[in-house]
Formats: sequence, structure tokens, C-alpha cells
Amino acid sequence: MNKKKHRKITKDSVTSVLYPLLFGAVIVVLWQTQILHKILGTDTFVLPLPDRIFTIIGDNMGAIMENVKATVIVSLGGLILGSALGYLLGMIAMAFPKWGAGGLTVVSAFNAVPIIAIAPILNNLTKDFSEDANTRSMIAKTLVVTITCTVAMSINAFRGFTELKPFSLDLMKSYAANKATIFFKLRVPNSLPYVFTALRVSVPASIISALVSEYFAEYIIGVGRQIRENIVLAQYATAWAYIVVACAIGIVLYLILLFAEGILLKNRRPRWKSV
Amino acid sequence: MKLCALVLVAAMVVMVFTSCSGSKSSEASTDGTAATTAGKYYASDATAESIVKDAAAKGKVGNWGLGNEYEIQALLSKFGQDTKYLSQAFDMNGFDDDSILLASAMTYNELGLVKNSYKGGYKYGDGVKYIDMNEQGVAMLEDNLFTTKKFATENPNTTKAFIYATLKGWEYACANPEEAAEIVYKSGSSVSTEHQAYMAAEVKKLVETDTTGSAVKNYGNMDETAMQQTLDLAKKYIKLSDSTAASKLQTLTLNDIRDTSYLKDAAASAGKFGKLEKTSVKVQLKWLPQAQFMGYYVALSKGYYKDVGLTVTIVPGGGDIGETTAVNSGQVDFGVTWVSNLIAANAGGMNLVEVAQVFQRSGLVLVYKINK
Repeated sequence: MNKKKHRKITKDSVTSVLYPLLFGAVIVVLWQTQILHKILGTDTFVLPLPDRIFTIIGDNMGAIMENVKATVIVSLGGLILGSALGYLLGMIAMAFPKWGAGGLTVVSAFNAVPIIAIAPILNNLTKDFSEDANTRSMIAKTLVVTITCTVAMSINAFRGFTELKPFSLDLMKSYAANKATIFFKLRVPNSLPYVFTALRVSVPASIISALVSEYFAEYIIGVGRQIRENIVLAQYATAWAYIVVACAIGIVLYLILLFAEGILLKNRRPRWKSV
Repeated sequence: MKLCALVLVAAMVVMVFTSCSGSKSSEASTDGTAATTAGKYYASDATAESIVKDAAAKGKVGNWGLGNEYEIQALLSKFGQDTKYLSQAFDMNGFDDDSILLASAMTYNELGLVKNSYKGGYKYGDGVKYIDMNEQGVAMLEDNLFTTKKFATENPNTTKAFIYATLKGWEYACANPEEAAEIVYKSGSSVSTEHQAYMAAEVKKLVETDTTGSAVKNYGNMDETAMQQTLDLAKKYIKLSDSTAASKLQTLTLNDIRDTSYLKDAAASAGKFGKLEKTSVKVQLKWLPQAQFMGYYVALSKGYYKDVGLTVTIVPGGGDIGETTAVNSGQVDFGVTWVSNLIAANAGGMNLVEVAQVFQRSGLVLVYKINK
């Protein structure tokens, strides 16, 4: 029976990988043969052909990697800081349940503030943080990402701490477990799947906010900044090269997340596999 | 557990407070040092070279980037400096708080905001001086009038009529800058009336003086020497990652970027153009409505466009609106851009052509504070 289940999983995972890949391949073929241009009513100037885009990526690997490094440091730094802060806020909300849930609602209002609005503000606020423009720009950009990532984590962590399995809390209490034990033995493990739910939202959001915050940064570096510069200079092929790179960063980080989730939550989400 | 949470809350409160007070105290210190320590800025008789070298060594030369940086880079290279610069926001706060020592400014816009004390001004008055790109020999021509080669070829009479009426508007605006500023202000200005009037007076200088400082009478003239210098500097400082575009950039000649025939015909026409191929046209500005574009607003408001049989819509720019893309895609018929931007766009595969050069000299300066 175990064997049968296993085969089913592989079949599922094969199709779940194959279909998107096939779809992507079809798009690329339509794109390169310019059928896509006819469908969208555009030309090869605004939407350059894939081979040209990949030639540019190949020609400029050094410069691209420098920009990728800047963007990834900002998005991962902000993701880690924001998620840690969010987890702490979740904890605080759990410790004071009376106002915790309400407080988180207020926190979530922060999520409604557009990145475009907070990026220039943080840029100005961090001007005294360092003499080096690159360093203070990095701090400003990381703070933008931090704010974006905090909210998703705080709400999910709060749910992870409080939405316990029925009777599990009663069971702990019947063993006369103290609050610390309940927290570490029950609440923290229970929050783990919720943490990953938050990360699934936060990882793409961290990259997007890193890209946008680069637009306003004092120091000119990053994939997002390159997209902007090249579009304004009407260098669409180069802009597209950086768009492709931005997509690649997003996909790679998301895959790493799924991989980590697969390992860490192996036995915790029995239903996750069969879906 | 509760204790734990309380400690956390306390820690966060402390964090918030320190960050607030941090920014406050630093504000105070900038004011204090500016007033007390002499020698923080530059001597009023310091040479351009010494200032550029000092600011570049400190990494405090600012520019907006996005195609506005080439003259600055040419100047940095002239004095043997690295061509890196700080990204300057569209306000002058970076200059005000000293994070930028040598800031880019347009004579007609940011320079006025820095010096003047009207609303939005930073009130520096004589406390600042500037380095002029024209005097340094690194001037590149800025605001022009352009369209696509295809549009100009297919609509020669419309193109000539549009140039004629536009330049008539510029002529009137330069003769009556105060009235022109008023017209722009009424047409949906992005800045105050005082700043608009200042801008009109400064723009007049750019339209009627060439890079050497001589007076220009034939509005819209495409001066060969200045155009060539612009193209040469563009080839040197426009860095394109796309190898196809980069090699095309190096092959461009003046004939690939401008056509003087429409302007010549318009000047000789006396306002008669035969049948217009297209009577309703749109012009895309490079920036928000302001006296920088007063010629177009005056031509519209004085009925010069109507007189030649044209219905004209002025489309304001701003932010990241690419005027080259807007014209190339046919969303608009004419556009105002900097010559370097047109060169970069043509290198990238567009087929744009300049039909008149409105600004005869560079309006870009690098502004710095002087010691009192």
C-alpha cells in the first residue's frame, strides 16, 4: 500500500512540473517565431526575441551577477529580519491575547502602505546611518523589505501559536505543564507550517519590494534599478534581460523554500502530499 | 512568559525612540556645523577642477541618472575622476543635508529652488556657486523637437507647420517671458507662479544663447559644432549592455539623428504650407508642465497652431515616462527630449529624427555651497 501511494506522488509531481514547463516552452517558441508579437500586437523592439535577450545575459554576466548579488542580499536580509520581527510580534500577540489579535490588525494596516511610498521615506531617514552611500542605501532597501515581510509572518505566527489541535492544550494542562513547556513543546512546533505559509507569501514579496526600493536608492545598483534605467533609455532588450534575471531570482528562491519545506514538514503535513 | 513579552515590547519601544531621536539630533548637527565650522564647503574662489576632484574623491557628486548623467561623467573624466555618481532625487534635499556636495541642477529649475526663497525654495542665495557645463566644454544639447523619420517623411507639411508655429511660440515667449510664465501656470503648472517666472527668464537664456555664449537669433537652429560635440560625448559616455545597440551607437552620424530640411522650409514658408497631411497632432513633453516648455503653451494659447491649421494636444511627461518610446510607438506625433536620449534610442533600434533644437546651450550645472 505504501508503494502504491509513493507511485501516485511521483506521477503527481511529474505532471505538476511537466505542465508548467510545457507551457513555458510553448510561450518561448511563440515568442521566438514572433507569433506572440502578432497576438499581442507589438513589435520586436518593445518585446525583443529570446535569443537576443539571452545573448545580452551571456555578454554581461559579470555586471549582471554584481546587480543580482545586491538584490539578493537586500531581499534575503529583509526577509530574515522581517520574518524574525513578525514571529516576535506573533509571540507578543499570543502572550496578550486580549489585545493581540486587534493589535495585529493594526500591524496589517502597514501592509497597505505601498512600497513606492515608504522607499523614498526610508531613503531619507537612513541618510545619517553611514558615510558610505552604498551601505546606507542597502540599509534603506533592507528596511523596506523588512516592513513588507513582517506582517505576513506576524499574522501567520499568531495563528500558528493559537490555532492548536483540539484538546492538545487541554492535554498539556492536564499534565500540569507550565506556560513555557506549552510554548516550546506545543505552540512552536504547531506554528512551523504557518511559518512556511507566511514565507510562501514573503519570499516573492521580498524580491518585488527589493526591486522597487532600488528605484529610489541613492546608490545605483541592483536588478530593479537596471530595469528602470534601461527602459527609460529605450534599451528594451537589456531591460528584458534584467527582467528575465529578476524572474530567475524569484524562481530559484521559491524552489529553495519549497525544498526546505519538503524536508522540514515531511511528517507534519500528511494531507499536503496527497493533494 | 509575560515578563519575556514585556521585555520585548520595551526593547521595541527603545528601538523606535532611538531611531527617532537619532534622526532629530543629526538634523540639529547639520545646522550647527554648517554655521560654525568654516572650511566644510568650498572657497568662493576655488577652481572647478579642485571642487570636482574633492567631491568625486568623497563620492558626493549627484545626478538623477536615467540619461541625464553624461555631461557630469564627461566632466568627471576631464579631471581624471571615476564616472560614478550618487543617484539624486528630484528634489534638492540631498544637497541641502550635505549627502551630496556637488549636486546636478538645471539653471531654470533646481538652481532656482536652491537659491530663491519663494515657496519650495531652499534660500541659499549667494551661499552657493555652480560649475557650468558650457564653460567646461562638456555641454550636450538638451531640449529639442523630434518625431519619427517615418512620420516626417509621410507628413512633411504637418511637420513644417508644427515647427513653424512652435518656434513662433518660442519667439513670443522669449520676448515676453513673464506673460509666457503666466500662460504656463494657467495651463496646469506643476510649480508656483514665482518659480514659473524665474524658470521662464532662465529658459529664455538657453533658447537665445549658444554654448559659446553668443546670441542666437534663428530659433530652433541645429548648430553643427554643438550637435557634433553632443554626439561625440554620447558615443563616449552612453554605456549600452546590448552589443548590437552599442556597436550601432558608434556608427551613428549627425545625419542619423537630425534633419535640417524641415526647419529650413518652415523658416522660409511665411506660414503657408499647402495641404496638411495630418491636422490633429500630439506633442509629448519631457517633464511636467512648466516654463521649460513655454513655447508650446504659448503657441497653443496664442492660436499659432490654429493659424497654420493644426489642432495640437500637449501631453505632459514626468517620472519615468519615456518620450522616445511614446513617439516611436505612435501614441504621440512629436516629442521633446535631450539629444543624448534620442541618440541612445536610435542606437537601441528606434528611427527618430530631430527637426529643431530649441535649447541652444546646456542648462545643466553642478551646484555647491561656499564657505562663509
